[in-house]
Amino acid sequence: MKSLKTVLLAGFACLALTGNAMAQSVTVYTAGPGGLIEKLAAGFKDETGIDVNVFQATTGKVMARLEAESANPVADVVISASWKTATSFAKKDMLLDYTSANAKTVPDFLKGPGYVAQGISALAIAWNPKSGTPKPADWSDLTKAEYKDLITMPDPAQSGSAYELLAALTAQPDLGWKLFEGLAANKMIVPGANAQALNPVLQGAKAVVFGAVDYIGLSQAAKGESIEVIFPKSGTVIAPRPMMILKTSSHQNEAKKFIDYVLSDAGQAMVAKTQLMPARSDVKADRPLIADLKILEVDPKTDRKAVLDRFAKTFGME
Amino acid sequence: MIFAAVAPVLTILVAFPLLFVVLQAIFPDIARGIFANPFSRFVETLFDKHLIAWTLNTLMLGGSVVLVASLVAVPLGILRGLFRVPFAGLWDVVFLVPFTIPPYIAALGWIMALQPRGYLEQITGVNFGGFLFSFWGVVFVMTLNVFPVVYFAVSRMVSSIGGRYLEAARVAGCPPMRSFWRITLPLTTPAIAASLLLVFAMSIEEFGTPAALAARSGFLVLVTGIEQRLSDYPIDLPGASLLSVILVVIAMAAFVLQHRIVSRRDFQTVSGKPGANRAAELGVWRIPVVLFFAIIGFLGAVMPILSVVLTASTRTISGGLAADNFSTENFAEIFANSGGAMEALGTSLSLGLGAAVITGILGTMTAYVVVRQRTVSSRILDFLTLMPNTIPGVVVAVGLILAWNQPWLPVTPYNTIGVLVLAYCCLLLPYPVRYANAALRQVSVSLEDAARVAGAGGIKVFFRILMPLIFPSILAAMLLVFAVAARELVATILLAPIGTKTVALFIWRQFEQGSVGMGMAMSVMAIAITMTIPVAVAIWARKQGRLF
Repeated sequence: MKSLKTVLLAGFACLALTGNAMAQSVTVYTAGPGGLIEKLAAGFKDETGIDVNVFQATTGKVMARLEAESANPVADVVISASWKTATSFAKKDMLLDYTSANAKTVPDFLKGPGYVAQGISALAIAWNPKSGTPKPADWSDLTKAEYKDLITMPDPAQSGSAYELLAALTAQPDLGWKLFEGLAANKMIVPGANAQALNPVLQGAKAVVFGAVDYIGLSQAAKGESIEVIFPKSGTVIAPRPMMILKTSSHQNEAKKFIDYVLSDAGQAMVAKTQLMPARSDVKADRPLIADLKILEVDPKTDRKAVLDRFAKTFGME
Repeated sequence: MIFAAVAPVLTILVAFPLLFVVLQAIFPDIARGIFANPFSRFVETLFDKHLIAWTLNTLMLGGSVVLVASLVAVPLGILRGLFRVPFAGLWDVVFLVPFTIPPYIAALGWIMALQPRGYLEQITGVNFGGFLFSFWGVVFVMTLNVFPVVYFAVSRMVSSIGGRYLEAARVAGCPPMRSFWRITLPLTTPAIAASLLLVFAMSIEEFGTPAALAARSGFLVLVTGIEQRLSDYPIDLPGASLLSVILVVIAMAAFVLQHRIVSRRDFQTVSGKPGANRAAELGVWRIPVVLFFAIIGFLGAVMPILSVVLTASTRTISGGLAADNFSTENFAEIFANSGGAMEALGTSLSLGLGAAVITGILGTMTAYVVVRQRTVSSRILDFLTLMPNTIPGVVVAVGLILAWNQPWLPVTPYNTIGVLVLAYCCLLLPYPVRYANAALRQVSVSLEDAARVAGAGGIKVFFRILMPLIFPSILAAMLLVFAVAARELVATILLAPIGTKTVALFIWRQFEQGSVGMGMAMSVMAIAITMTIPVAVAIWARKQGRLF
């Protein structure tokens, strides 16, 4: 029995020794899309010879891991899908103040002390043309009888961007909660995170997603799925994806180089290829850009919990 | 003596990370190593107006899954153990399949099969969307995911009780039905109770199915609340940990109940040389029994896999089952990316085998201590090995990070593949412990005493006398561990060492990028390759002439 313990301990010791990072490397914690970080890592390695160690998950899981590791931080660069992670990290003085030379053409509202956007997604209506419903042009169209029982929405309690959309639209004087009460009367369902809202629309169980993440819908359409991404007339919210270098990073030079690379022509082209809007205003992309959209702001003083509670009540999710 | 060996290992493996879950629930800033403001988050979490509804819903879900699983799996297990069921080996393999399918994939498979305009409607014109997205739909899918736990425990147990008691009853003029109610069923109690406890623990902590099916009907459980606290910024680790502690308390009540049931009586039935176990013939019942097995096998294994295969073999989801939409593109892409896919498969299979071997050995030793020593400390050990199964995997993962990423540790498996081995062993140890515990309760102490009198030492008795008698149960548990570890996702997402690829991660990343078809193609491959091991074991067991 003693010997078993020895074997186990020896095993762990060996495993621990193999875990030492290479000298020239940078560790990036990122929210999806996974394909993008793989391409960026490969391109960066070709250009600089620096290895990129990637941990990829959802924003919530990335934050949970960062939080749990805070006694002994591992990450150098964090890329999240939620802008307020960056502003709040900056407030807590966790970020290295770095402005990349390549960030000159990134609009001011997409960068701050210690953070800068990698790319931007917007929320939209994703509609299945084969559903036999008329093509919607605006959010309020979805309260019409033609869409009864045919609408899904990502859960704002689980998706940061869905919450922003909810907060922005309910603050509009002409829409307000009346819009969502109309959607509830139309039996809109709230099946979970973004992918769970899109799947029923692809298969035809439902016809339309209220507040789909645009780049996912656009890349599905490019694959041949019957889905159309519509940017509503009355405006929508955008979700810029911030990149930041943690103060605790022990590879700050490599981390800076990585940020430079993502904002370089090559890096921004990869971002555009995933159907995200590039952060730099001088990089072209084959999709509507910030200038083409009417963007709604969210009042930073909004009481998140109150909004989410009222939403849950409206849709009987208590 | 064995206690001295087991206790420290369990402390490192289970108690250490779980201690941090509890610390996190009490001290909000423990992640930074600060013990400030204890209990400061209690009020906010415990006075959440949903808490009571979530707790009641959790109990209702766990109770219903236990009920339905026992109605389905206990009869199946008893039939398999007592009678010569046609294609017996095949059923054992088929009933392992649900364990090789990650719950979130099974749920998605059911959704795509049964929702309006799903595959069933495309083929037959009917859909069961209304049923699937209801409370009983969640119970149905969850039961199909977990019933094999009960089936394997009961069938192994019944066959080891063997025909001698029933033989004696028959000689004494007892009608078959009565001897079943008076002998077989009572003697199987430890296995039924132990496996139903596992089912209860699994169904109160499983997140994938309620999230995919129940959320839209407004049926929220504690796990949904836990997941919400970890799914968007600002995340709430203390809240998630505290809700997990509530789950542990619920499970503790179930554990005490189970303990009462199995401690009331003595179940020692194996007290001599095991007789040749002749399974009885079914006679006229052959056809209905085979139908019963086939229907459950079809629902539990074939249906979800069919849905997964159909999704993998179509070009687009919106194209549906049209002739021009079928293609092998998704599979071709997996082969084109065979480097990444094969690496992921290799990693997952090795992790599965490693976890099965370690938990098999550890679980058997723990169960031996618990069954034979009957002290308070061994009771604590027993509950300790159930706890990881009652806490959602994602929270166990947080505990593991908090524990193993402490700056004062001289060596740590964190950020190496070792942490996944630790995690799977911690999460899956309950299976072999419960199975071995139930099996050991049937082995009479007199056998060990006899061996000791004959001069054998403790270790020799354990390996020469006990192991052969309880091995079928342990092997079944190890197969379950292997299958689950080879596809674990929830803890893996959070814990995966940087750059590690496992099958579940590979699939999940495909889904996340919207390549559902490719994710499903990988699932098909993973299920097929994972199943080769149980099939090999089943064939080997047939040659040995006993149940595996």
